[in-house]
Amino acid sequence: MAEYVHPEVLVSAQWVADHINDPNIRIVESDEDILLYEVGHIENALKVDWQTDLQDQLVRDYIDKEKFEQLLSDKGISNDSTVVFYGDKSNWWACYALWVFKLFGHENCLIMNGGRQKWIEEQRPLTKDVPDFPKTDYKVSGTNEAIRAFRDDVVAHVGSDNPLIDVRSPKEYSGELLHMEAYPQEGALRGGHIPGADNVPWATAANEDGTFKSADELRSIYMEGKGLKEGDDIIAYCRIGERSSHTWFVLTYLLGFDDVKNYDGSWTEWGNLVRAPIEK
Amino acid sequence: MTKIEEIIEAFQAADYQETLAMLLDYSENLPKLPEKYIEARDAGLNRVPECETPVFVWIDLNDGLVQIHVDVPEESPTVRGFVGILVDSFNGTTPEEVQSAPQNLVHSLGLDQKLGTRRMFGLSAVYNRIKSGVKEAGGRQQ
Repeated sequence: MAEYVHPEVLVSAQWVADHINDPNIRIVESDEDILLYEVGHIENALKVDWQTDLQDQLVRDYIDKEKFEQLLSDKGISNDSTVVFYGDKSNWWACYALWVFKLFGHENCLIMNGGRQKWIEEQRPLTKDVPDFPKTDYKVSGTNEAIRAFRDDVVAHVGSDNPLIDVRSPKEYSGELLHMEAYPQEGALRGGHIPGADNVPWATAANEDGTFKSADELRSIYMEGKGLKEGDDIIAYCRIGERSSHTWFVLTYLLGFDDVKNYDGSWTEWGNLVRAPIEK
Repeated sequence: MTKIEEIIEAFQAADYQETLAMLLDYSENLPKLPEKYIEARDAGLNRVPECETPVFVWIDLNDGLVQIHVDVPEESPTVRGFVGILVDSFNGTTPEEVQSAPQNLVHSLGLDQKLGTRRMFGLSAVYNRIKSGVKEAGGRQQ
């Protein structure tokens, strides 16, 4: 049986339970529902919201370096903290937050396998107490845009032999649906996919309990199934870049591809872009 | 001042943390779905189709006054909180009062500004379903 290429980035709920009071560890919850953390969270977990904390509300972009430094300093996360992310929806938003932390070059980032769902299923305790860690002086030493694809990177990718992975549902990929089923808010004017993109819905990488599939299963889906091979330059996209950060995490850490980018503009940008070609 | 106007005033004066605290309060106090609707819910009836969260709504008039019964899962506290505001504001009022509530309630409450616009469409959908449901129920009554 094959192992994940970087098994050290995944930790279990038990591991997190054992490290709740470890001063080198900071636990971060990131959810789709902005109130879920307030309902109850793992003791000592901090909340980082994908939209109100990480995205700039005026520019369609992430917060800048200074705001990221401020955010992490206020939360009490230091440059050498190991940050463990977890959240709802099979860790979509945890992977998304991890990806943003990586954009700003944060070194040690882990995912709690199974996320919030598994923690609760294992009947582990939740608290409403918000931790108050001493403030830090966080400094971003360098950003890592190699993991982010912009529109022009995607234009260059189209027509090349480099793989483009569309992680949306088959109906969104085919153009039958203009948005994810039951998410009507994030549509685009056109339905379809970026030319040459292969469809591998993100959820094929997740088990029912929110954990990641085994290394063998992942290899069979992405490598044997879709022909991804070592050295490939891969771009993953979805609708707003959140489901594709789950796939980005899988390809980068669990399967060990060196050059994977998440296109956060995704279909809400491409599907609306003047003169951008699409396929149905 | 109607109940919904009072709630709007309170939300407009609230900062981000207070907004979350009030929503959480409404979420935690949302009345349970009455027994008689459970079977219909389990059969998938009366679901608001536009909302990602499975939200089920029943609207009746009792002596001409609005009665809204809802079911929203515990894992979706934002939606529960918002629906809790609707139930608290509209139950026991007249259909006319419901119709006079602001067209874009999510915005009037300032939720789009404080919580981010990307999350707000499902809430608006639930609101519109409830408003049109009350209108229909009022029409049946007359």
